[in-house]
Amino acid sequence: MKRKIGLIVNPVAGMGGSVGLKGTDGDMYNRAIKLGARPVTPKRTRDVLSHIRNKDRITLFVAPGKMGERHVEGADMPYAVIGKVGGDSVADDTKRISEEMVNSGIELLVFVGGDGTARDIYDAINSKIPVVAVPGGVKVFSSVFSVSARAAAEMIEAFVESTDLIEEEVLDIDENAFREGRLASRLYGYLLVPNVKKLLQGAKEASGISGSSVEWKKEIATYTVEEMDKRVLYLLGPGTTLKAIADGLRVQKTLLGIDAIFEGKSVGRDLNEKGILALFGKYKKRKIILTPIGGNGFILGRGSKQFTPEVIKQVDRDNIMVVATRDKINRLDCLRVDTGDLDLDRLLSGYMEVTVGYKEKMMVKVRC
Amino acid sequence: MLKEPIKLNMNEVAYPPSKEIIETARKSLMDLNRYSDPEDLERLLGLLADYSGVPKRHIVQSPGSDLLLREIIHTYSKGRKIVIVSPSFFPTVQAAKQFATKLISIRLSPPDFDLNPDLLLDQLNEPCLLIIDNPNNPTGKILLDREIIASIFDHKEALIVVDEAYYEFSGITFADMVQEHPNLAITRTMDKAFSLAGARIGYMIVGEAFFDAFSSFYMFLPRPSLYAAIQALKNPDYMRRNVSRVIAERERVWNALNDNLAVQVYRSMANFLLLKTDVSDIVGKLADIGILISDLSNQLSSGFIRVSIGNREDNDAFIAGYMKICETYSQEKF
Repeated sequence: MKRKIGLIVNPVAGMGGSVGLKGTDGDMYNRAIKLGARPVTPKRTRDVLSHIRNKDRITLFVAPGKMGERHVEGADMPYAVIGKVGGDSVADDTKRISEEMVNSGIELLVFVGGDGTARDIYDAINSKIPVVAVPGGVKVFSSVFSVSARAAAEMIEAFVESTDLIEEEVLDIDENAFREGRLASRLYGYLLVPNVKKLLQGAKEASGISGSSVEWKKEIATYTVEEMDKRVLYLLGPGTTLKAIADGLRVQKTLLGIDAIFEGKSVGRDLNEKGILALFGKYKKRKIILTPIGGNGFILGRGSKQFTPEVIKQVDRDNIMVVATRDKINRLDCLRVDTGDLDLDRLLSGYMEVTVGYKEKMMVKVRC
Repeated sequence: MLKEPIKLNMNEVAYPPSKEIIETARKSLMDLNRYSDPEDLERLLGLLADYSGVPKRHIVQSPGSDLLLREIIHTYSKGRKIVIVSPSFFPTVQAAKQFATKLISIRLSPPDFDLNPDLLLDQLNEPCLLIIDNPNNPTGKILLDREIIASIFDHKEALIVVDEAYYEFSGITFADMVQEHPNLAITRTMDKAFSLAGARIGYMIVGEAFFDAFSSFYMFLPRPSLYAAIQALKNPDYMRRNVSRVIAERERVWNALNDNLAVQVYRSMANFLLLKTDVSDIVGKLADIGILISDLSNQLSSGFIRVSIGNREDNDAFIAGYMKICETYSQEKF
């Protein structure tokens, strides 16, 4: 039986790069055109399709015109066109058409674009179906992206042949800061992708060290759970490694939120600052467990704003625990904090112990 | 595509062994049906001891220093915390991960990749095995000096192993401290400076604390390797001349690359350079034109690569290839 696979191409993604602009969000697209930028994603799309070997097992559902249809002609694959182009923006079209595709019964959505496109797809489909993200944008920092067009084709093949799925990060990059040469990003969400870790953006496995990212997270979770003190309130930050710890305790975890655990049981879910401070009234011994955002290493100040300076001060630096898989840490220059309170950031700077495996820790520099 | 790839990915020395070494190894092939003669194994031990400036009882020889590092980790990991740096020589990391009951890695961070001595000393207040490569691979950085080593000796429960695989290029060694400090061991290899990577001769200069565990560690070495090593140590000047050439080339390559804005090149005390480049998939692009370098994306953040110093011709091919790829890359980008 043929697998139904959707394809959406962001026709303007990546054009800023060729003319030295960092991104094509908003007005930047018009500036890119004026500067003579040429589309990047059509070729990338054709590259992906040309590398797929099990084409006979796929039916494509494509967005109209330059958002898909135009690039699949000649790809030797049957396709149907879904939706209409003509919304206020490419982002609107992307969101609407991807929703329509999901409603049409696609099992996997392939999209070509950058971090902005990934956010649009996340807004539209969340984790209803898995995706294969093809890097075509100027800013491609989210770990959800495949490393290349060829890798994307391999991921599609793997999905067709049946594979399990994992969650990978979608980042929200501050484009103005990026233009000024700063990488300011926050965790935006997670998308499901076929579990072929070595093909994912910046996610090469440490060669020679056996296991997969899922297994490493389980290792970290097992050790962390073993070391947990029943008299302590644990606040678990966002991220899949923290979710693995919650799984180890058999409690539910909000992937993007902050949850509280005491005596191995959930005592608060998706907490805001007020909720956290209210718990502090009851629990005197507290610890925060965090994991860095891939790519830039922020442990505080991006994607976990609920950990306000007030909350952090009431926990104390020594009670902040960091967990991350070795491959994630290896790809970071350092850990970073940006709580909005410079004195606190300075206090948090220095070295922190990061649990990277079972009874395995790494001392990593924290910068602000 | 060139017929034979230029290998700048394994930190080998591009200059072949001397004619005498090759001839000696060749002759030994006639007796390949025989094990190495114990007297000759003993002779190598003596030559290594003289070369290292210690009595023979402090030397342990082995086919490859990575085997010795693995054996040390295997022997001492029970009941001891293992402390290493990250990034580090990969077989050390691998063995530590496999055998450690408790493992602490101290992360070396760009841009300086320095080892914070206080952080290191804080880790030594319980029985532990500390393993540090000096110079570090892949950064090429010297991480330890005599002052830090002296402070480490104050921690009596710590066993210290310094991997000096690239000692001949750095000129920095702690081998002279081994007799006075029983907890110190130095691992070395003849793979690199002696141009004997294919012979796989490693050795260790050990303090008394290691005697018990390694007194029975009497490794037979393959005949060609044994006789090649003996011949190489009989005339170390050949090696020294090659080391001087490698160092001169290293500085020439550093200068050539340092003028190129698309790459950040780090100072090195070994026979390789650490680079950070903006060019995506540079390892693949160089491989396409027949130049092999080492991809560090599993050890450091994106863009870090390691390139071994080859002979002048190999290095020129690398510099030219890199520059050409940079040119194409900037045209594509802008």
